[in-house]
Amino acid sequence: MAAKRDTPAGRAARMAGTGVSVAGSYMGYLLQRAFLDQPAREAKLKAAHGRAARRVRDELMSLRGPAMKLGQALSLQSGVLPDEAIVELAKLQREAPPMHPTLMRAQFSGSLGRDPEDVFAKFDLEPFAAASLGQVHRATTKTGELAAVKVQYPNIRDAIKNDFTWFRTVSKPAQISGHVPKSMIDELETQILAETDYRQEANHIEFFARGLAPLRFVTVPRVFRACSSDQVLTMSLVPGRHVDEFLARRPSQALRDLVGERLLELFYFQVLRLRTFHADPHAGNYLIADDGSIGLVDFGCVKRFSRAFVGNLSALYLYRGARESAHFQSLIDQRYAMFGTKLGRAGRQALSEFAEKFYRKVYPPEIEKDHIPFDFGESVVLHDYLRESRKLMRSKAALHEHVFLARVEIGLYDMLHRLRARVHTSRIVRKFLEDRASA
Amino acid sequence: MRRPDAGRRVTKKAAIQQRLVAAALALFQSKGFDATTTKAIARKAGVAEGTVFNYFRTKEDIALYFFEQEVEHAIESVQRSPRLRTAPLEEKLFALIQSQFAYLAPYERFIGTALVEALRPASKLGFFSHKAQALRHRYIGFVQELFEESLPKRKFMPVQWWLPDAFWIYYLGALLFWLHDTSSRKQNTLAFLDSTLRIGVAIVKRT
Repeated sequence: MAAKRDTPAGRAARMAGTGVSVAGSYMGYLLQRAFLDQPAREAKLKAAHGRAARRVRDELMSLRGPAMKLGQALSLQSGVLPDEAIVELAKLQREAPPMHPTLMRAQFSGSLGRDPEDVFAKFDLEPFAAASLGQVHRATTKTGELAAVKVQYPNIRDAIKNDFTWFRTVSKPAQISGHVPKSMIDELETQILAETDYRQEANHIEFFARGLAPLRFVTVPRVFRACSSDQVLTMSLVPGRHVDEFLARRPSQALRDLVGERLLELFYFQVLRLRTFHADPHAGNYLIADDGSIGLVDFGCVKRFSRAFVGNLSALYLYRGARESAHFQSLIDQRYAMFGTKLGRAGRQALSEFAEKFYRKVYPPEIEKDHIPFDFGESVVLHDYLRESRKLMRSKAALHEHVFLARVEIGLYDMLHRLRARVHTSRIVRKFLEDRASA
Repeated sequence: MRRPDAGRRVTKKAAIQQRLVAAALALFQSKGFDATTTKAIARKAGVAEGTVFNYFRTKEDIALYFFEQEVEHAIESVQRSPRLRTAPLEEKLFALIQSQFAYLAPYERFIGTALVEALRPASKLGFFSHKAQALRHRYIGFVQELFEESLPKRKFMPVQWWLPDAFWIYYLGALLFWLHDTSSRKQNTLAFLDSTLRIGVAIVKRT
């Protein structure tokens, strides 16, 4: 059986299958990646589906390199694997290989010109967390402050470029059919490559530290510029716990509601006020403190929107009228015209349904209902969102601007669901819309 | 007039030898190996040409001496680190090659020509010359030690017989990769060493 699988014909067949079904799979991966990496689920996986998942992983590993990644992405999209297997796969995809201390030191001193022991008073050679492009070490600065030091894996930039070159080739059919527009691949490549420059990430952190200052409940790390470079980023440690640890301490409903309200407020503040948002919604990037304050970390992936795009979003948020109305339809058309594209009939239908079946439900537009919180404890919320966004993809109506917005929304709704939070969704959005109107 | 004692004489000799090597390496790097004469080396080191021959018979001997020092330096840097003693095999091997490359880095141009020179059958630097063989044995012997202390001890492990020799060939390949690596700070070499050693050690452990 194994021999049969490894014949050139078999391999070609597998590759062809992968190539044909590529449509939207990478998108699907990005959309779903956000809420897959949870220690709790991993633990469950190890108990229940460990062996099965490993078998699947081995199968996909035999494809090697980028083919492996695409195979994984495909399996995520098709929904044939159990969640536990998807977690196992997502883990493979997310992590850069771990660096042993000798390699880490070579990277660190190569980039910064000095050894970690010379830069810091104390430096922990064992990493305490994996970052998407490297790993994070604990350290104490010479002035006695605790710090998190992110060190990048060598030349990850070239590896990403190679993957995209390959991906562009195999996804040609999907590009021609319009399911995966070239602009979307460009957007992904630009964003993912941008994550490799830690200097830019340091700029992002400083931007958000200023921008989010009005939200007193948010903490953003401080950058130690003197101990940072393009591949080493030193930041202050941000207090707070991973959502799973936070929940393990059985917080009250009131506290969970407070955190939920704040998470939603943080999201709309970024989109509607800053027009710039933290676009890596991995649960580990939100650290929740016991008083309900939120630490936000990892600013590698940040997305900016144009004024016009945010204007269009706010015109459509809490839209009161019928989705079939000429006004609503013209607003949709405006959005697509911004990117020089026209919306087809199927796309129009998918978008209207998205607005009706998801947004109107979660964000009731009627002001009279503002006092009723939306209960994210119901699991259908996320499924509704995923179902509608898949329809949007299939109808070729997904704009590249939607990619990261959707990713963050999924992460947000997943987090709110895990918190079983009750949130005054419309009230929060309305506040920002009114602020915009008065400004 | 007091005669310098024996200890001081040895130190002075070592200092001159070191000066000659440094002068030769600088010339090999700037003028090229072939164009460098022992006369030029002597001039640069500030000694009479005859003095050179008290230490080295030819410029090939100087080059070989440099490579001996390079290997000793790398072995020492692995042995000296208490942390590496308990590190996984792939890290020890990585550390060994990395410190070799760090030692060679200032003379990259010369290393390229030395590698070509080593391929010439009659060359003293050649892989099969008597002196170069001794150097290779020293290196392979140390690699053998690393394998023995890191791999599980079994009664019969044929793989260990040829493994250190295979590693020597791998090292030459890595050296070529390093010479051709144009990435910033030769990061591609770091990634190459990391991934190949990780995979290689995993395969060896399985067989």
